[in-house]
Amino acid sequence: MKLYLPAFLFLFSVHLSSEYKFETVLDNLDDAWSFVFLSEDKVLFTEMPGKLKIASLKDKSITNVTNIPEVAYSSQGGLSEVVLDPDFNSNNKIYMSYSANTDNNKITLFLSTAELVNDKLVNSKVIFKAVASRRSPAHMGAKISFLDDGTLILTSGDGYDHREKAQKLDNHFGKIIRINTDGSIPQDNPFISNQNALPEIYSYGHRNMQGLLVTSDGLIYEHEHGPKGGDELNIIKPALNYGWPAITYGIDYSGAVISPFTQKDGMEQPLLYWDPSIAPSDMIYYEKDLYPEFKNTFLITALVSRDVKQVVFENNEIRQKSLFSDLGFRLRNIQDSPNGYIYILTDGPGNKLIKVIPKK
Amino acid sequence: MKIAKYPFAVFSAALFTVMLITPISSISNLLWLNSVDMPVGIISSLEVLLFDFQRLGILLYGVVIIGFAIAFSFTAVLINFTNISSKYLYALAGAVSIGAAMYLMVELLFESELLGGNRTFVGKVLHWIAGFFGGYFYYSLISKNKNYTFIVRFFGILYAYLILGFVLNWVFTPESAAADYGFVLKDLNDNAQNALIRDFTSFFISTFIFTILGVITLNPTWFLAAGIIYYGAAVFNLYAIFIHGTNYNQIYIGEIILGSWPTIIAFAILYFKKNE
Repeated sequence: MKLYLPAFLFLFSVHLSSEYKFETVLDNLDDAWSFVFLSEDKVLFTEMPGKLKIASLKDKSITNVTNIPEVAYSSQGGLSEVVLDPDFNSNNKIYMSYSANTDNNKITLFLSTAELVNDKLVNSKVIFKAVASRRSPAHMGAKISFLDDGTLILTSGDGYDHREKAQKLDNHFGKIIRINTDGSIPQDNPFISNQNALPEIYSYGHRNMQGLLVTSDGLIYEHEHGPKGGDELNIIKPALNYGWPAITYGIDYSGAVISPFTQKDGMEQPLLYWDPSIAPSDMIYYEKDLYPEFKNTFLITALVSRDVKQVVFENNEIRQKSLFSDLGFRLRNIQDSPNGYIYILTDGPGNKLIKVIPKK
Repeated sequence: MKIAKYPFAVFSAALFTVMLITPISSISNLLWLNSVDMPVGIISSLEVLLFDFQRLGILLYGVVIIGFAIAFSFTAVLINFTNISSKYLYALAGAVSIGAAMYLMVELLFESELLGGNRTFVGKVLHWIAGFFGGYFYYSLISKNKNYTFIVRFFGILYAYLILGFVLNWVFTPESAAADYGFVLKDLNDNAQNALIRDFTSFFISTFIFTILGVITLNPTWFLAAGIIYYGAAVFNLYAIFIHGTNYNQIYIGEIILGSWPTIIAFAILYFKKNE
């Protein structure tokens, strides 16, 4: 019986679809939000209540990483993104974004770096604290990526109640931030010589950005939760204004008009917008060979449509396809492993990490 | 009728208050848009004001009804223990209930300020004032005897309020309105776009105007005319399904409801007039 029980449980953890098998590799996670591969069989992942953990995908063992910064966990806030330094193999550095209390008992977005040594964070340092205090942690953004020049970009959401501030440059609401990995400000940042602007700002006029990546050709792609009917996929360029909330394709959750305008000179149009909203939550640009059908396409997880949108740019046309909807979960995060396997994290307390296995 | 007037006075006062509240958010939003050099004009202002009144208003309507029902019931008891004039007590109760509702919506439900107009102190005060006038309006409704026309008019206005949503969608955002019926507007040629927009807009505006005329004149013919149009839509929906083989479209249920509502009002007027 002892021999058969694991096999029995394993059978129940594998879903079958017409083209792919879904294997649940981690289950019952405590609101895990993001993950990154340390090796093919080992992932580092965050849980929103403020836990950073390492999981072995071989034996499913999970180890708590200690010395984690204190976070403010509620609503959409907590320990959010974790990424590895591009030179992680030599310097063991990681970066974490999270919401935490400020001195005046409000909440804002923080970015910390630390070295991961034997399941413990050492030499922790806060390298960025957003000028974006709010009473509750809504619309935090909190996505991190690296540019080719070694600088780091971070999304800082509009805080919902502070949406109009996304159009002002004296704060970090609704902005993409660019800093060096030690927290200093790159001297070629677009607003560095503007006395009325915060020097970390790279682009502005954003809402709640939940997807951020840099492709090998150096382009920055970002997607953001719009209001009802206004989720967007954008190409980010320095100093540009992406319009929120002066222009939008959506309306407020309350039904109120946010803006009757969808375009204006000096404000960027999205590459693509979703109406009705899909609530895009993360994305990768798949460049490996394991799934030839996904090669050189964007894979975007979605919370509301409960699927992965494959987005293809071809001959000035954008095509979309819904994938993995048979999973039926709100999907929070997506990564490809070093060997090219796609892993998807579902959303919310008790969530799962699922491996997508091609049948062929 | 004596008892019925109280709940309908709450419903009417709540609708009146919503009409005062929604422009606070709309105007604060328009002022901000103007401050960032957006080309705010008469048409765009009307779009914001009317859409907010209809879409935001429907959400608020339920909240205000609950708030007023509690506040005015409490006030009805309190009146027996104080010498303060009833009209001021009800007005004050209206202001307090709106203030409490706005506060609780943030603290208990959304954790965020859903109403843009309620984010500033001035906006909050304006909401309280709207509640004050709502309470005063309630008092003016219950302080006089009412006959059947009060209830008939209320249902007529509520019907027009719902139809207004379709009207605004087709007038201001036809692309989105067309998408609700399965059309991708920009994929149609110019003539088809024109036909779609003019016919649908005319359809909804006509029934809206019929209803308003019915509310003003209490002539049942206007309500009946609106009812016939929606019954017709339901009948020919089924005709399209069963005779022309289109896909099953359950929107006919909504059409029957939208047809029955004014038809019942029309027959109610006829009944009451006969018994007067």
